[in-house]
Amino acid sequence: MNPVVMQLTVRGLLGRRRSILLLVLPVVLLGLAWLQRLASHGSPTQSAGLTGNFALGTLLPLMCLLIGTGVIGPEIDDGSIVYLLNKPVPRRSILLAKLLVALATTLVFAVLPVAASAAIAGDRDFTLTAAFGVAALLAGIAYTTIFVALSVLSRNAVIIGLLYALLWEGVLGGYVPGVKDVSVRQWALAPAEHMLGADAAGYGVTSAVTVSVGLTLLAVVTVGAAWLGIGKLKTLRLAAAD
Amino acid sequence: MSAIVLDKVSRWYGNVVAVNDVTMTIGPGITGLLGPNGAGKSTLIAMMGGFLAPSAGTVALDGGHVWKNPEIYRRVGLVPEAEAMYDMVTGAQFLLANARLHGLEDPGAAARRALELVDMVDPSDRAISTYSKGMKQRIKMATALVHDPTVLLLDEPFNGMDPRQRLHLMDLLRRLAAEGRTVLFSSHILEEVEQIADHIEVLVAGRHAASGDYRRIRRLMTERPHQYTIASSDDRRLAAALVAEGAADGVTLTNGTLAIQTSDFGRFVHALPRLARDSGVHLLEVSPADESLESVFAYLVAR
Amino acid sequence: MSGPIVPAVPAQPADVIHDIGFRHYDDVRFGRGWVVRSLLVDTLRGVFGLGRPARSKVMPWILVGILLAPPLVIALVAVLTHADTLPISYTQYLSRLQLPIGLFVAGAAPYAVSRDLRFGVLPLYMSRPMLRTDYVWARFSGLAIAMFLITAGPQTLLFIGALLGKMPLGHNLTGWLGGLAASVFLAILLAAIGLTIAAFTPRRGLGVAAIITTLLVVSGVSFALSGIARMQGEDTWSAVAGAIDPYRLVDGVASWVLGVAPANPELAPNTGAEIAVFVMVYVVIVGVCALLLGRRYRKAGRL
Repeated sequence: MNPVVMQLTVRGLLGRRRSILLLVLPVVLLGLAWLQRLASHGSPTQSAGLTGNFALGTLLPLMCLLIGTGVIGPEIDDGSIVYLLNKPVPRRSILLAKLLVALATTLVFAVLPVAASAAIAGDRDFTLTAAFGVAALLAGIAYTTIFVALSVLSRNAVIIGLLYALLWEGVLGGYVPGVKDVSVRQWALAPAEHMLGADAAGYGVTSAVTVSVGLTLLAVVTVGAAWLGIGKLKTLRLAAAD
Repeated sequence: MSAIVLDKVSRWYGNVVAVNDVTMTIGPGITGLLGPNGAGKSTLIAMMGGFLAPSAGTVALDGGHVWKNPEIYRRVGLVPEAEAMYDMVTGAQFLLANARLHGLEDPGAAARRALELVDMVDPSDRAISTYSKGMKQRIKMATALVHDPTVLLLDEPFNGMDPRQRLHLMDLLRRLAAEGRTVLFSSHILEEVEQIADHIEVLVAGRHAASGDYRRIRRLMTERPHQYTIASSDDRRLAAALVAEGAADGVTLTNGTLAIQTSDFGRFVHALPRLARDSGVHLLEVSPADESLESVFAYLVAR
Repeated sequence: MSGPIVPAVPAQPADVIHDIGFRHYDDVRFGRGWVVRSLLVDTLRGVFGLGRPARSKVMPWILVGILLAPPLVIALVAVLTHADTLPISYTQYLSRLQLPIGLFVAGAAPYAVSRDLRFGVLPLYMSRPMLRTDYVWARFSGLAIAMFLITAGPQTLLFIGALLGKMPLGHNLTGWLGGLAASVFLAILLAAIGLTIAAFTPRRGLGVAAIITTLLVVSGVSFALSGIARMQGEDTWSAVAGAIDPYRLVDGVASWVLGVAPANPELAPNTGAEIAVFVMVYVVIVGVCALLLGRRYRKAGRL
């Protein structure tokens, strides 16, 4: 957890065009949530629809993609990561430092707004907020770690991430039965479904897996992705000019 | 005093062999890694710097391996060829970050010292994105020097520098080498290597073609005769004497100069003054026609 | 022997330029039109990965497969069940498959413009007999044609399926032609939006993410706004909110003009005024994109 790496990463993340999107999207979400509250008079069912589908299903993975690829992708792409790699700092520390920055950014710009949108759009005793908050937190951690690792493993991380988050989890998940079991979104919804108890079905919060399965798979995938990313960083080949 | 030892190092990518069975030792002083573009110089430097694993053979720094060993970077300073840098920070901040990453005790002082060495103190409070190419090269150099390494690996360091900056850098490298450091730089520009390298390693198409002082290498190439140009008071008489003595393989008389080919350098060198004196010929100018690195290099490449 | 001799400078060979076989071309050269057409074809082929490494064929062809699979299935089902009409209309198909279509343009637009901007090679293009606007026009047209192909292709498959299923020809023919017309307008709109976003995000990968994020967010927002308006009983605003979503924009106008069922019946515009707003928004969006692209490339074309 190297503080210098973290500082450089924060600088890099916030100083680019990427950061505009990171600011605009939560604002749009919260604006919509507020409008919906006015229109539906705070109906929790409507709120669940907005938060569950738009915020959690579309916005969260996209923002994690932007953040996860943004902390390390551009540096690998233009070769400036060599200035981190040619130091007596273990590669593990470098990746974990960047991952930490990414996770913190996800928490502030993606997870909290998603939870807040549920509260703003309409909730009953904050049950929805808590449930969606937990789901967003778990999914956010998993997505971000996967996308950071993907950025180290492949130059086409963004496209692969998009195909996964949108096509695999979104479209195919609706048509092909087995796909739903291999989906970060489904795993993260399991605790939410559990927390909402009997109301879950009414809000449209269902998960294809049980809580224990979901949490286990999330942990396995997160740790596995981090481990793979570190391994690849140790042998990273920089673009050679010769 | 540090030395990098490469032993039968090869690197291939599928069917393409980038570096082919190279064995060399890089010791203290300035070594120039010379070769045309695509010869494998960057690949070799990457392997020496621990950024690439050899497909065969070993690379050792003072006996320890360099691959997957970040600790070597305490002793090794690597100046990469990549142009990109962290554009949004200032030069001073970037150097400070580098110093802190090295775990130095007084990173601020080290950063300032490095900036002074490369003469970049004044512009150091501007963002790196505003720097010219030569300034970025100098900052790159500073990042490699900030931790006072014993080994310096530079990949095409003079790229994009104007003559004044180039002289400054050459001066700097000479000073560093004089302090006992091991400095290796790669280049495909012969003049640069000629001016500061004590020792050259020639890489052609991935193979190690020659190593040593370039003048001595020239002398080792006995198949190709040495060539000299002589201006004297009586070319014909001198030519006749040289041929008679057997000190020259061939003589060519052109308008005002005498061109000599000889494969026995030693014999020619001893015989020439003696013959000139005995024949009463004044020697006005004797110059080797192909002692430059250019001709050495051209010969090696054409082989 | 003789007096002081001044060594003669050897006569320089006469200055000459050798003929090394370089051949001049003085014949007719193709003009701007040909250049623009070549760039257009090159863009079109490159979007589908033709003439590029295998890696770049993966995403476009996966998406093509995803777009063509449902029509095949629908056609099969129609033939087998002897259905009278297709389960989904030609125009509704575009809205139903907005995700793969969006992903396609998200991957294709950065290919078309981002790389040239990132590597600053626009001056190379401008040194040919073509204008800045020619370049933008060629890239846009190539992209738009590609978008048309991937939307018209599935529609044509649906049509063939309808024919094979012996459904009423006249009805399906007009439906198909109407669907093609809608495809044209959708292709133009998506290409314009995608190209503009890509031109402002040259960083690798950022353009793709930005385009698809924009399309998805805009779609989500428009549906949410429509839903909110309906809850308040404001059906007009509910319909107009669809204007910000490219798919609903085209679908709204197309379904009204052609007289077919819209993709979202309760939210579609159905009065002349609403349609007029939609058409205006379409023109404004395309116009703004053209303006932004013009400004972007005014800067980039300079050396």
